Amino acid sequence: MLPVIALEGVEKIYRRGSEEIHALKDVNITFQEGEFISIVGQSGSGKTTLLNIMGCLDRPTRGTVKIDGIEVSTMNEKEISRIRREKIGFIFQQFYLIPGLTAAENVALPLKFSRKPIDKKYILSLLDTVGLDMRAKHTPDQLSGGEMQRVAIARAIANHPHVILADEPTGTLDTKNSMIIFELLKSLNSRGLTIILVTHNVAFAEKTGRVISISDGQMNSTRLDSKHITGSI
Amino acid sequence: MTILKLALNNIKRRKTRSLLTLFGIAFSIAVFFSILSINKGFERELDRQLKKTGIHFMIVPSGCPYEVATLVLHGSILPQLLNADVLEKVRTTERLELVSPALVTQLPNPRAGRVDTIYGIDMADAFKIKPEWQIDGRLPADKFEILAGSAVANAYKLKPGDEITYTIENRRFKVAGILKETTTQDDAFVYMHIQTLQEIINKPQAVTAIFARAKDPAMLEDIIGDIYIKVTSVQIITMGEIIGSIMTIVSSAKSLGISIAVIVIFISAIGIINLMLTTVFEQTKEIGMIRAIGASRSDIFSMVINEAIVLSAIGGAAGIFLSVIFSPLIEKIVRNITPYVPGGRIVTFGYELAVLCFFFSIIIGAVSGLFPAWKASRLSPVEAIGG
Repeated sequence: MLPVIALEGVEKIYRRGSEEIHALKDVNITFQEGEFISIVGQSGSGKTTLLNIMGCLDRPTRGTVKIDGIEVSTMNEKEISRIRREKIGFIFQQFYLIPGLTAAENVALPLKFSRKPIDKKYILSLLDTVGLDMRAKHTPDQLSGGEMQRVAIARAIANHPHVILADEPTGTLDTKNSMIIFELLKSLNSRGLTIILVTHNVAFAEKTGRVISISDGQMNSTRLDSKHITGSI
Repeated sequence: MTILKLALNNIKRRKTRSLLTLFGIAFSIAVFFSILSINKGFERELDRQLKKTGIHFMIVPSGCPYEVATLVLHGSILPQLLNADVLEKVRTTERLELVSPALVTQLPNPRAGRVDTIYGIDMADAFKIKPEWQIDGRLPADKFEILAGSAVANAYKLKPGDEITYTIENRRFKVAGILKETTTQDDAFVYMHIQTLQEIINKPQAVTAIFARAKDPAMLEDIIGDIYIKVTSVQIITMGEIIGSIMTIVSSAKSLGISIAVIVIFISAIGIINLMLTTVFEQTKEIGMIRAIGASRSDIFSMVINEAIVLSAIGGAAGIFLSVIFSPLIEKIVRNITPYVPGGRIVTFGYELAVLCFFFSIIIGAVSGLFPAWKASRLSPVEAIGG
């Protein structure tokens, strides 16, 4: 079976004047369908850079990125947008809900950009998945931080993505809400959705199927406790 | 949910800045729409007013003929009068069916605290010169009778049979009739026998202008040539020339007005660009998120440009609405600052012109939104989210 995401010899170099910053160094890793992986590391270690490259938000300086077997690192902007729309769901630390739009309208945004019809029942079912169907008409300023992140999760799954990339989704939440979000991600994973979680929370990381640790742009270790693990360092 | 809703939502999120920008667009479109509307109404009313007269040309003292003609129509006192022999010489010209002298002056009425413009005419020719006049009462027959324009009658609350006094010789005049409203300058004049007026100002032969009508309008050029051979020191102006020359002045004023409107529009366009750039800057992370969930560059471009278009469309519609609402005020201002304005409504709003101005405002929005939209669409999603 093709891996959902496969990175081969991926490097990312940022240039600041004459200085070169190696954010990622020779990353080779694959993620199989249905995995729940956490990526941990210090701030500035390269976790978010890795997530951005896997999510087609950024391009590697060298190496190849394949999503569902399709090489994406050489695609043009239009094709990359389509891949993001169809195959990837993002969850950010800061939620990024659009103020003024209701929870339902925020959830419907990916469908809008996919030119898909917006079915109210489907939107409500997504909100029901995150336990917020009764808050469909509430705007972000009427929701708590935890609720906003749950709306963001519903938005991330609206287009039936193959993989969810979550960048520290509990970073700004209290313990109770963090637990709710993590349980939601686990629940989505139990339905077969691949989840890649960047987190500082060791307790959460340990509960995922595989933990990838990054330091100075290099993957230092993986904890092999799943049959899916094929990553190399 | 549509792109329109996203655009409206964004506008609502920045109420104060959006309102200020909207005000700028509304004001510029209001100015633009009003100027175009005034020009259209002005031309129509001028044409209507001059065509209402039953004359083909005017003979006036030499000088700037168009200035003199407009002064005569406007009812101002001319510094020069026609020479005494001009009237008789014109009367002996062939192929003319009407030759009628007019004397314009002003007389004070201290009791009312105002000065009236008095038009001395040959009452026998009144309906030939002004065929559309309608009179409540009758034309003056007696030497000391007058015909009051409707605006004068309203000011003095006059009715036929009333009396009015002018200070020169403390002469009392009986109101023989009141001119029904013509919506032209005629409403503001008092008409009396030209001989009486000549007597009052102590200038028995005084004539400000001669109105003439040819038997055959096709022969107008020849007739005017004949008159120029007979009399010197006069200017002859046809009604067509008067319309043309006044419209030339109006066109110049229109060009100036449109230039001002274009500057105002340019400034409001800069306002839109500024607002949209600020929006793009402030919503960088949001744009990054939208790119992350699958929006393409063209989606982002459309979102920003749509917002600019919605903003300018609302501003344009508001501007047109404001123009219509404040048209009486605009008309009053134009009448106060313009030397010659025909009667009737000069600010006339046309449906087609409104649609044209509305689409013009949309084009301004679209053009103003181009750069911010391009800028937003070029944002790298990772830099946007990270930034």
